[in-house]
This record gives sequence, C-alpha cells and structure tokens, in this order.
Amino acid sequence: MSEQDGHAHHRQDHGHLNDTHRHPPAQPDDTTSPGHYELMILAMRDLLIEKGILTADQIRRGLETLDSWQPSRGAEIAARAWTDPVFKRRLLADGNEAVADFGIDMGGAKLTVLENTDTVQNVVVCTLCSCYPRAVLGLPPDWYRSKNYRARIVKEPRKVLSEFGTDLRDDVVVRVHDSLADLRYLVLPRRPPDTEHWSRDELAAIVTRDCMVGVANPRVEAHAAA
Amino acid sequence: MTEPFAPGDVVRVAAVNPPGHRRTPFYIRGKQGVIERVCGEFSNPEELGYGFDGLPKKRLYRVRFRQKDLWADYDGAAGDTVDVDVYEHWLSRSTSTARSEARRR
Amino acid sequence: MEPDNSHLTSAKEPGRGYHDLGGLDGGPIETHVTQAKPWEKLAVVVGNALGAKGAKLVCTDEVRRTREEMGADLYNRLGYFEKGIESLRRLMVEKGLIDPQELERRMAETAERIAKEGR
Repeated sequence: MSEQDGHAHHRQDHGHLNDTHRHPPAQPDDTTSPGHYELMILAMRDLLIEKGILTADQIRRGLETLDSWQPSRGAEIAARAWTDPVFKRRLLADGNEAVADFGIDMGGAKLTVLENTDTVQNVVVCTLCSCYPRAVLGLPPDWYRSKNYRARIVKEPRKVLSEFGTDLRDDVVVRVHDSLADLRYLVLPRRPPDTEHWSRDELAAIVTRDCMVGVANPRVEAHAAA
Repeated sequence: MTEPFAPGDVVRVAAVNPPGHRRTPFYIRGKQGVIERVCGEFSNPEELGYGFDGLPKKRLYRVRFRQKDLWADYDGAAGDTVDVDVYEHWLSRSTSTARSEARRR
Repeated sequence: MEPDNSHLTSAKEPGRGYHDLGGLDGGPIETHVTQAKPWEKLAVVVGNALGAKGAKLVCTDEVRRTREEMGADLYNRLGYFEKGIESLRRLMVEKGLIDPQELERRMAETAERIAKEGR
C-alpha cells in the first residue's frame, strides 16, 4: 500500500519549485488540522528545496524507496535461507553480500543475521534510540521505539516476550542484542517442524516482522488460518 | 592504541559517565563481559556526533554479558545474556578469576 | 498515537542520559502497531536525503546527539517522528542552513494554506 505524501501542496508551488512530474492526489481522508511538527517538516522541506539543498525528485524517490522497505523482504530472505543451505551460509557470514541478491542496499550498516535454534532465542533492541534494519524490515513498529520496550527487554526479556505471547522452555537461552553501533541485527527464526514440503512463499508468509526482531516465533497455525 | 582484544577475552567496561554523545549504555558501565567477536573498525560516533570525521577509526567489539552479572535480581535462565557493541576505548582487560567460565559461549 | 510514557523518568541515576533507557522500570508493552502518516514518512525521507546517501550535510550521530540534547521534557513529550523533525531543525539551524524565523514564517504560511485548501 503506497501512502500519499505531502506533495499535494506542490500544486500551488509550481512557480518556484519547477516541478514537472505528476503529483499524486492528496490523502483524501485526513482533514484534521496539521500539528506543529507536520507543519515544520512541510516547511523545512520547501525551504530546503528552494535553497537547492534537496530536490523534489530526491524526496519523491526517497518516498518510493521507503515504501519498498517492508518486512516481506526480510521474510523472503528467511525463506530462502531455510531452503537454500548455501545461501544461509552466505547470509550468516556476510549479511550485506547475501541480501544484495535481492537488490537490497543496507546503506553503510553491517547486516548481522542471528540464527535462532532449539536452544537459543535471539531478540534485538536499540536501548539508546531505535536503530533497526529498515532496508529489510521497514520502519520499526511503535512498541520497538517505546520506552517500555527499550527499558525492559534488556533486563527481563522473558517477561516481555510473554507479553507478545511467546513463552520459552526453560532449556532455551535468551540472547538480547543491543544494536548501538553500525551493526544492524536481523533474527533468522527457527523453521518450524513439518514444513519440509512448503513452498518459499508459504514459508515467507509465516515469518512475521516480530519473528525477525525475535519477540515471536513462526507459527504453523498462521499458515493453516490463511 | 591498546593491544586488540580477542574473542574469549574477559573485559570490563569503564565505570564513567561522561557528558555528551556516547554509545555505551549506562547499564553496562563498570560491568564485566567477554569478547564474543571482533566487529571491525569504525569511525568514532562520539566525534561524528559533533561534525568531526571520527578518525582514526576505533575497533568495535561485541561484548557478551551474563544477565546475572548485570542485574542482581535476574530470574531468567542462568545462561541468558545481553550482547552490546562496545568501542575499544571503553574496554580494559579484566583480571577477574572467572576467566575460564567466561570463555564459554 | 504515541503511548503516554510521562511516568517514566530517566534521571534517577546521576550520569544516565534521559535517552539511556536500558534497565529502567517500565510498563506493559503496547503491541498495537500504527501506520506512519505521510508527514512522518516525509520526516524519514528528508533525514535520509540530508545524510550520507544524499546531501551529506548531516550524519546519523549528529541526529542522535541532538535528540540527546533537546531536554527531557521535549524528549518525553514528543513522539518518535516529532523528535526526528526537531532534531533536524536543530541541526539545520546549527549549521546555518535554515533561519529559525524563516522556518516559523513558512510554517505559518503552510498552516494558512492548508486551512484554506486542505493538504
């Protein structure tokens, strides 16, 4: 789903923006008054374009790129790793090199893939801000950015995971990863049993964003319900 | 530059709270952990944050902490850990006697 | 809508920045996920376009640093994307790329235009 952006105001600004591409229609449903920061980003954008610091085209392409960053990309990567042992080895050795197969550019971040096993559950956080592997998962969800998650996941991960409905056996070790530097972490969830004959698409469908952050694990019932 | 650490080395995070832009979180300062891996060399974020080039690059390490070493009342599994990416200048070699235990991944 | 986390303070331990949250007490995780609004996506894109992949005028650590400098009150009150926009504003002003009065004027004009013509 591609959401419309603040480009609607360009209709009125042709004079100095020198903008020749087609404008997407404004979001029809949002009739609320813009808040302070919505006004700020719109004004900032206009000023930066007028001053020649950015171009309208850059913004348009940036929005398209952002729209292409979705958890489905990460799910495709996971499904391929589950079904292609050579790819999986490459992915675990050098995430950036492996996801280039999918045309994914991590933009200077080092993609580090963490493999969940029978006895290890990995879970990712950025306690200082909200660093997240956006190119493979999209924008981080509200809860990942929240103070409650950032505060609690490092000290009581099992309680937090149970709030997501994820309960772990006693013999499973939890490894929390606080991604504060240039590494971005992606969890490769454990492939559920009895999925040996599934297609890659069917497998990708059960790898949710939450599975790739590590707060949940793929559920076979999710497939059955589809 | 300090001699590089290797995986398995026991290290301690500096127990300091300097003002300004730091990427070493409060909850690991002064704590002991083990080098889980060497991540490579990266420009120093503490300098980048103010518009400097952050050079020369600093070595970055993944340091693994046992949960029970971080929180006195941790009630999860004994093997539970937290991994944090820490820059070399925050780490020093620890003289802890828990070395052989800590080498276990 | 951002959850109200004003009950969370991070100044209990001296030397802990208000953004440095690991290990603090917290409430239940609100697992409901909202879609980013168009202006929030625009904030992400403008930030990216100013950064390493675009104009190379700001870097990630400068954006983080300004978040850490805006004060606990703003940090706790503003939503995630609002903080991002506030960070960009501070950096643009700091680097002399935008005049704060000019920005305010343009915001007022934008508000008037939207009130008359919609987004």
